[in-house]
Amino acid sequence: MIQLMKKQIAIVEDEPALRENYAAALARHGYSIKTYGNRRTAMQAFSTRLPDLAIIDISLEDEAEGGFDLCRDLRALSAELPIIFLTARDSELDAVSGLRLGADDFLTKDVSLPHLAARVAALFRRIDALRRPDNAAEIVRRGALSIDGEKMQTTWNGTPVTLSLTEFWIVHALAKNPGHVKNRQQLMDAANVVLDDNTITSHIKRVRRKFQQVDAAFDAIQTVYGMGYRWVE
Amino acid sequence: MSIRLQLLIVALTTLVLPWAGCQYAKELETALRSSQEQSLLASAATIANALSAQPQRVFHDPDDTQAFSAGAGDLYVYPLVTQPLLDGYRQDWDVPAEPTPLPTTTGYRARLQAGSTEGFLYLFIEVADSHFDAEPNNVQPDTDRFDRVNLALDGPNGREAYFFGTDAPGLIAAQSVVKGEDGVDRAVAEPRIQAFWLQTAAGYHLEARIPLSFVGRHLWVEALDGRGKGRAGFAADSAAGGRLFFATAGLDSLLETFIGDGTRATVIDANALKLGTAGTVVSKKRGETEESEPIWYRYFLGVDTSDMPMLSMSPDHLSGESVSSALNGHPHAQWVLRGSHRELLLTAAAPIVIDGHLHGAVVLQQAADQLLALRDRALSRLFNLTLIATAAAVITMFAFATWLSLRIGRLRDAADSAVGSDGRIQLSMPESASADEIGALSRGFERLLARLNEHAQYLRTLGGKLSHELRTPLTIVRSSLDNLESEGLRDDQRRYITRAREGTQRLQSILSALGAAARVEESIKQSDRVNFDLRELLISALAAYRDGFPGTRFVLHTPEDPCFARGAPDLMVQLLDKLIENAVDFCPPDGTVTVRLERVQANYCLQITNDGPLIPEALMGRLFESLFEQRQGDDDKPHFGLGLYIVRLIAEFHGGTAVASNRDDGSGVVFSIMLPLI
Repeated sequence: MIQLMKKQIAIVEDEPALRENYAAALARHGYSIKTYGNRRTAMQAFSTRLPDLAIIDISLEDEAEGGFDLCRDLRALSAELPIIFLTARDSELDAVSGLRLGADDFLTKDVSLPHLAARVAALFRRIDALRRPDNAAEIVRRGALSIDGEKMQTTWNGTPVTLSLTEFWIVHALAKNPGHVKNRQQLMDAANVVLDDNTITSHIKRVRRKFQQVDAAFDAIQTVYGMGYRWVE
Repeated sequence: MSIRLQLLIVALTTLVLPWAGCQYAKELETALRSSQEQSLLASAATIANALSAQPQRVFHDPDDTQAFSAGAGDLYVYPLVTQPLLDGYRQDWDVPAEPTPLPTTTGYRARLQAGSTEGFLYLFIEVADSHFDAEPNNVQPDTDRFDRVNLALDGPNGREAYFFGTDAPGLIAAQSVVKGEDGVDRAVAEPRIQAFWLQTAAGYHLEARIPLSFVGRHLWVEALDGRGKGRAGFAADSAAGGRLFFATAGLDSLLETFIGDGTRATVIDANALKLGTAGTVVSKKRGETEESEPIWYRYFLGVDTSDMPMLSMSPDHLSGESVSSALNGHPHAQWVLRGSHRELLLTAAAPIVIDGHLHGAVVLQQAADQLLALRDRALSRLFNLTLIATAAAVITMFAFATWLSLRIGRLRDAADSAVGSDGRIQLSMPESASADEIGALSRGFERLLARLNEHAQYLRTLGGKLSHELRTPLTIVRSSLDNLESEGLRDDQRRYITRAREGTQRLQSILSALGAAARVEESIKQSDRVNFDLRELLISALAAYRDGFPGTRFVLHTPEDPCFARGAPDLMVQLLDKLIENAVDFCPPDGTVTVRLERVQANYCLQITNDGPLIPEALMGRLFESLFEQRQGDDDKPHFGLGLYIVRLIAEFHGGTAVASNRDDGSGVVFSIMLPLI
């Protein structure tokens, strides 16, 4: 039953050409794809069967923020279902809102299909890792920080810090080589994403804020102006 | 020409009112003058008629119609006002005319003048004689030679001959030659004819006084030199001439009864010699009022007098067109000018005709003052009123024009500054509430500015919108390419795919540049302010730029101590990125980009200078506007004129300002960011 083994991905995107392109690319990577053009049809389908991963556009046909509503409803149905926001909008507010609603990642449509596939794979890998017993070899420890590369989980002083996939990869890239300055391009490569400088900056900002919520004295990510960022212990 | 000046010139056209007044005044004066001519002519004719009825009171000898001939020895006897002193000088005669030269054939020069008053005939003889020859004692008048003046009179007792001569100048008596009993001629003094002999440098003067009872119709005077044959004058036996022409006694007072104040009447005989005069042309009454009120604008009103003849001032006779016309039998009036002040004088002459023969004329003279006074009184009010009206009109116009140009100036200033140096548009204009055309213009400006503002707003958001709206189709293209690539392509197909991908990347970077300002505005909204060390930021950023732009030399000057500022360091780095990119773009290949941080009063002054080409003065204020781009893009980077706009946005976020200027020595360009100290 190979068919049953296939992971099912739902793509909710109102732009048919784009929808089909994403579907085709992910199908090539061996996923089973269901596509929906609006929130109503998507929700109908989800109420009978949940996909293994959902890729959702924020604005859906006539609903400017239909994606957010869909995400909220989906999260209500399942707490673990990985959700990726994929949008033409790149405003900070959208990213913050999306992630606050429990999305696992927030991507602009600039992302290339291979990158998208890498992300999807990473999210599935994380789910698989979460179901397996701990594998200490994959854990990176830097002082108070510990990063589980397999489960893509981060803790600070033992307290979990919830990071999106992009944020996790950024922290991972910085913490793997403490003291080394990572420039923006290196961080983008690590996060499998194409972002402009502003977005990297706001990602860093968000990461810092998330750590500071756990430990107000957090100061491990240092800005090297004009160059990039580094992890200091 | 300013509106004020234009309206002032327009206002000056009201000067046409006083001008019209002047024209009217001139016409009035002409009319008045001609009526004065008529009335004076009528007066002259009346007086002439009255005088012709009593010729014996007018003419010395009404039957003598022979013309006056000075060449024949005829002599005009001036009426003297006072009795002169016998002193050899004629200044006290008060006769403005010079004595008449006596005819001579020998070059001996002598001059003669006669006057009459209070029963005496006065003679004044002036002889040029370089040597005085005295009269000898026991003179033999016929044979002795001495300086002498012979005088012959047609007296009541026939012709009498006298001579004047002396051995001692001074008061002398005339002498007559009497044949003595011994048959010898002897000189006998005639004490009733007295004279004063005055020796002068040039000769001698003889002033003689003869009772009128001695004097008849004729008189001859001859001066003889004591040595040589010099003689001048008329010998007593000259057949013709020697007639005396007297002003008629009593005529003056007779004339006085005919004339009124301000008029002078003169009676002349057929030879134009004055027989009598009465009155004066200057009215005593009005003379006073006129001087107290100098009417300056008479200058503008005056009738053109340039072609009028001057009044002849000869004391013994009258001349001029009206006189000669009257002496030809035709009454005539004429305007003449008198004296150095060129006063206007009306002369009217009427002939005196007795029994069909013309005997003389009456000449009346009257000043034009009466006319002027009349006209001035009427016109000074008119003139003053129109002048006041003109002045009021000019002042009102000027004030109005000032007000108008003030309003327009306000509007112009507002229009000039409507688009601020930061590109912001001031939408409300002054004067827009006014109901007139300036208000309409102002409202027109407001509408224009509103549309300009909409346009600018649209432009400002266009970049963000474009980059947003184009993103989806671009993503479709790119994801299609991604899909195509994973289909397993031939090499030539792969080549096209690569090209298409390069194209989409370029599109991507263009869209990213277009949306840059929108993104910065977005992140400014999200940014929190923290305290950061500007100096440390500059040091680390400059290290990055040195790596990033190896072709350019960077120099950094900062204070020694940390320079804390409040804001968003990430945004500050973006500001720095834009300025450095800009400086590197314009900097010549081996040029230097200098970054300098200083404390200036309450601010940090961050200056980024490069050796590149200067900024034209006209662009200076507009560089920081959104979508303002002067670069002719010859590199492959798209320029949308957003870089410096972003710099301004970030500087303003930090409570600072951004200014571009050229170096004082013209060697490059300076971008200055002023940030407040904390």
